Amino acid sequence: MSSQTLTIETETAGSLAQEVAARSGQNLNACYQCRRCAAGCPVGDDTGVTPDRLIRMVLLGDREAALNNLLVWQCVACYTCGTRCPNNIHTARITETLKQMVKEQHLEPMTPKVAYFHNAFLTSTSHFGRLNEMEFMGIYEIKNAQNELKKGGGIKAIIAELKNQMQLGKKMMKLKRMHFSIEKIKGLAEIKRLFAKAKK
Amino acid sequence: MEIAYYPGCSLHASSALYDAQCRDVLSRLGADLREIKDWNCCGATSAAKTNDFLAVAMPARNLGIADASGYAEMVIPCASCYSRTVLAQKALESDPDLREKINAELSEKIQGKIKLLSILDLLVDKAKSGEIGAKATKKLEGLRPACYYGCLQTRYPADIQITDNVENPQGMEMVCEALGAQAIDWSYKTDCCGASASVNDSDVAIRLMSNIQKDALARGANCFVTTCPMCQMNMDAYQGKAGAKYAIGESLPVYFITELIGVSMGIGTVELQLDRHFIEATELLRGLKLL
Repeated sequence: MSSQTLTIETETAGSLAQEVAARSGQNLNACYQCRRCAAGCPVGDDTGVTPDRLIRMVLLGDREAALNNLLVWQCVACYTCGTRCPNNIHTARITETLKQMVKEQHLEPMTPKVAYFHNAFLTSTSHFGRLNEMEFMGIYEIKNAQNELKKGGGIKAIIAELKNQMQLGKKMMKLKRMHFSIEKIKGLAEIKRLFAKAKK
Repeated sequence: MEIAYYPGCSLHASSALYDAQCRDVLSRLGADLREIKDWNCCGATSAAKTNDFLAVAMPARNLGIADASGYAEMVIPCASCYSRTVLAQKALESDPDLREKINAELSEKIQGKIKLLSILDLLVDKAKSGEIGAKATKKLEGLRPACYYGCLQTRYPADIQITDNVENPQGMEMVCEALGAQAIDWSYKTDCCGASASVNDSDVAIRLMSNIQKDALARGANCFVTTCPMCQMNMDAYQGKAGAKYAIGESLPVYFITELIGVSMGIGTVELQLDRHFIEATELLRGLKLL
């Protein structure tokens, strides 16, 4: 648990809280810091920041801290915090909103692999209307490798990652759990239009 | 009875065995699954984490197709697809502007008619009515499953009423009882196994799974049973890794609930595709003389 002191940014507090509340549909002001969410958060030990802490950052207007913390990226969307919250605040919706804000503001995600993973999933879906597991993993690994190279000389990390995934792939093939056929839907144009609308 | 069916991408790919089992087992229980035409990906957790509009719009197209199918109910076995579709239906119900915005792009418009069922909704009904017990001629004596619900079978990031207990659900236990299996009582049945992080944040995923594995073993379970293809795949593929890292001596087979029902009905290994598990899944059943 971080012992960092949070201070209120009077200039920005209102606007950040309003933006996050409106987009996530969550009433952050109802949080009375009982920390029931923190007790149940399965990744709290890894992230240092628990849901209550994240809500506080937003309420106090600390945009930098709210957009740059591990909970936003490592939240596994298990929905335990929101299910147990006595005030019905779903922090998983707040982490979703903050992830989207990071993307829109072209900021560097704190855990790039998570961002690549979800982007690759949607990219593949937009191509066929259904997820193609092999294309999805391909897009993800390429993006990952590019990032490792950009960071400087991460060849070893790239090889380790690919080896890992190939092991799984080989096993899946043996078990006939890998499928090579491409399922493309007839109504793909509708999906494309929905994706276009989503960008607006 | 015929019922609309949304398999989702996973059941058409890495978990195709679950698709085959659902069709076979449910048909023997009197529910004939009719796959809706030209369905698309529900967007899963990825759409929710990337774009709020797509998170609703992707399942919305499937809802429109299901509404036009003429069936009253649709079953969605994948916990993730089910969760996203239920959430979309709720969002569309409460936001007419959003519904209009999405409907404008769809050939089959959302009408809000179709009633969505998880596979457990369907199976619990069939356990209560005695239909499962009657068809389960081979009682699963000696099988001690840890019923694993994971996240999405009971928890939603919105006000969605569920019939089971959120913290200590009993639906799968009820089905197991009808099959003659002795489901164990344990603490991690609704804890996250880390499936969505298994590829992009594997240290976290492995740690989460190790807790589940340790508790199930300590309580004397000899297998897991689940309804979620994401959980099944994750726990089946990576228990060995968690075991190695956290010094857990044993990995347990992870069955789909349809596999246990199928075995109990006398359906064979090949038909059920029980040979497609990462962790060998027939040995335990053969040892108990169930196969």
